[in-house]
Amino acid sequence: MSVRLQFDGISKVFPAVKALSGVSFSVGAGEIHGLLGENGAGKSTLLRILSGVYRPTSGSVLIDGKAVTLANPVAARAAGVAMIHQELQQVPRLSVAQNMFLGHPLTRGGIFVARREQERRAAEALAAIDPSINPSAPLGTLKVAQRQIVEIARALLDRARIVAMDEPTSSLTPSEFERLAEVVKGLARDGVAVVYVSHKLDEVFGICQRATIMRDGVVVDSVDLKSLSEKAVVAMMVGRELAQEQHHSHATSEVMLSVRGLASATKVRDVSFDLHRGEVLGIAGLVGSGRTELLRLLAGADRTTAGTISLDGKAMRLSSPRAAIAAGIGLVPEERKREGIVPLRSITSNMALASMGVFAPRGVIDHGRLKLVAVQKMKRVNLRPFLLDRPIRLFSGGNQQKAIIGRWLAAGTRVLLFDEPTRGIDVGAKSEIYHLIEELAAEGHCVIVVSSELPEVIRLADRVLVMRDGTVAAELGKADLSEQAIAAHAIPQTQTAAGNAAGQDNR
Amino acid sequence: MSQTTLVQPRTEFLRGFSMRDAGTLIGLVVILGVFGALVPGFFAERNLINILQQSSINACLALGMTLVIISGGIDLSVGPTAALSAVISASMMVAGVPFPLAIAAGFAIGMLCGLVNGILVAYVGLQPFIVTLGTLSTYRALALIYTGGNPVLGLPPSFRAIFNGSLFGLPLAVIIVAVVAIIAWIVLKKTPFGEYLLAVGGNEEAAYIAGVPIARTKIAAYMISGLLAALAAQILIGRLGAAEPILGNLWELDAIAAAAIGGASLMGGKGSVIGTILGAVILGAMRNGLTLMNVQSFYQLLATGLIILAAMLIDRVTRGRG
Repeated sequence: MSVRLQFDGISKVFPAVKALSGVSFSVGAGEIHGLLGENGAGKSTLLRILSGVYRPTSGSVLIDGKAVTLANPVAARAAGVAMIHQELQQVPRLSVAQNMFLGHPLTRGGIFVARREQERRAAEALAAIDPSINPSAPLGTLKVAQRQIVEIARALLDRARIVAMDEPTSSLTPSEFERLAEVVKGLARDGVAVVYVSHKLDEVFGICQRATIMRDGVVVDSVDLKSLSEKAVVAMMVGRELAQEQHHSHATSEVMLSVRGLASATKVRDVSFDLHRGEVLGIAGLVGSGRTELLRLLAGADRTTAGTISLDGKAMRLSSPRAAIAAGIGLVPEERKREGIVPLRSITSNMALASMGVFAPRGVIDHGRLKLVAVQKMKRVNLRPFLLDRPIRLFSGGNQQKAIIGRWLAAGTRVLLFDEPTRGIDVGAKSEIYHLIEELAAEGHCVIVVSSELPEVIRLADRVLVMRDGTVAAELGKADLSEQAIAAHAIPQTQTAAGNAAGQDNR
Repeated sequence: MSQTTLVQPRTEFLRGFSMRDAGTLIGLVVILGVFGALVPGFFAERNLINILQQSSINACLALGMTLVIISGGIDLSVGPTAALSAVISASMMVAGVPFPLAIAAGFAIGMLCGLVNGILVAYVGLQPFIVTLGTLSTYRALALIYTGGNPVLGLPPSFRAIFNGSLFGLPLAVIIVAVVAIIAWIVLKKTPFGEYLLAVGGNEEAAYIAGVPIARTKIAAYMISGLLAALAAQILIGRLGAAEPILGNLWELDAIAAAAIGGASLMGGKGSVIGTILGAVILGAMRNGLTLMNVQSFYQLLATGLIILAAMLIDRVTRGRG
């Protein structure tokens, strides 16, 4: 196997911070190479150098043995590098073909876009990987997984020799991942070198042969994944052994939240359950099974059409998030950027948003008291760096999440709803969030955790509801809890487990 | 992504807020310096007071505009709102209604105009630009229809005396607007409503999940804008002694310009009371200076345009990308 891509002593210095230092490793033609590391380890910077966004301070990138200058993204593309971003950079209203030729359309005489020719070539490129995608359909009508595939087809169109994928599966269901994995393996068989960045180790182990592990801007090691355990890799990523996580239950028998026959206009139908003080209730199920919608009903964000929610035996009418918060229910939403944070505002302001009234008993905010509470709550969640006046957008995903959790602590929330609490959060912060959730339960809060990651549900929950088609398909106690049991109930009976794209993407 | 976050520890907060105001202040100082050098008597106390007086109406409108812009909206209807409020309270005064009552009625009209804007934006869900473009025409038409197109003349001297009076050597109009500015600053910096405005404009979806009363916050912003338009109208008719139904033409543009020069982002979630006031004074000082230099009004318009563009460019360059 010949070396297709080689990083040779790459360093990148930003004013006041050294992001990369002497990074060297190589990827062979036809190899799928994992790039692992916590947030801030330097993966994104390295990918940006590869795709021509940044220039390295020193060191060089070699493609097929020749040093190349990747001065800008266009030059990188010309050199055969295709980048597939985590957040797809596509225009939903344009057609699949138009997106694939975005920025360099085929023209007739340099004036008119040759739309038919574009669609023909797009169809050609798609035929190799997913012929079911119609090149003239608006991109917005496709599922996220299919949009990923369009992006890969676009790379094929450019005759890319190197494809870099940044967290390609963060919003895919397991079966969609299988499909994507096939496509990526197909790319590799054709001699493309694939650099695969993901937080999900099981995926990396499933799809990659070798991986390079980075920490704090340097390469820890390039390893053969067949000879290593996940645990060893995690230890290399975080620089220490993570303790084997044990689940501790703090559930009591006292019913706090009681839901009966809950339904919404679209997704949720006839959901009933009880939640006890100190309990962590997991909700599993495929994407699109109504989990997120159920949480939004409980948080007052969407309308219920039937059913009752009672808290401490009192029936509640949760007509808005404001009403739900007043009743003691708070939502930590799945999409932090869109529904969680106010990016330009400080940590303190973001924290206090749900409890402003408390800090302003006479109409004017008592900033002294606000600061005091912010210090206390942010210490409690272990915010890093501890800069309370700094805009929240400058913090990592994990620390943004901590601030949102702090928001509900400050508001005196008793029922915390977590939707995908660790999505896009690195391994170290993940275990902090787990501990926090456990501590909250120990203090007598009750918690609902919706997660697509089955190990996470099993790690956290005292009890799991499996949702399917908008309703509760099964309730699993701690004793019956396993990935197989959850999957068996989550997947509709008429569909085979390995079948086509299971859930729809309705988010 | 996260690598760069390690840089710039504590200064980021200052950079995001008061540094921007300092920039606006530098802009003002430069403009004052240029005119001071070119125009004899520019720095005379009387002229400086003149500048403040000439800026006061725009500053008053721009404060309301700033709050609306921070909430992620815009209010194009401030001029016609002012006109409608002016002709109604003026005709009440002419008809013999005691002037405090007539002023109160004018304020109520302003808030009502804002309420209509706010409801259409917040509850009906229409786009602020289109809503206030529609009410811009509607309110203007109402003012014209109400007066038959004629000015309302003969306002009582006692009413005119308040807005033409002065206190500590400053025109009362300036003092009134200064007080309004202080209140606006407190509202934005020190009250939950101010935080809600910034949150709604900064990320409406997140604000909703965090329990911010979205509709109420937006409606309040438009009502304040309407109220301040009505206040600006009272100041103007007090000075002129008459209320014309066409008064306030293009006021909205000056108000938006002052807010933008002062650092308000039309994307919402960002804006500064201090910046807006400085922005209004920059525009006022420039017009005053150019007039004293006997520059044709065509060139004054040109200068206004260039100032706005320069402010935006400087903003862009100093802030860098995203």
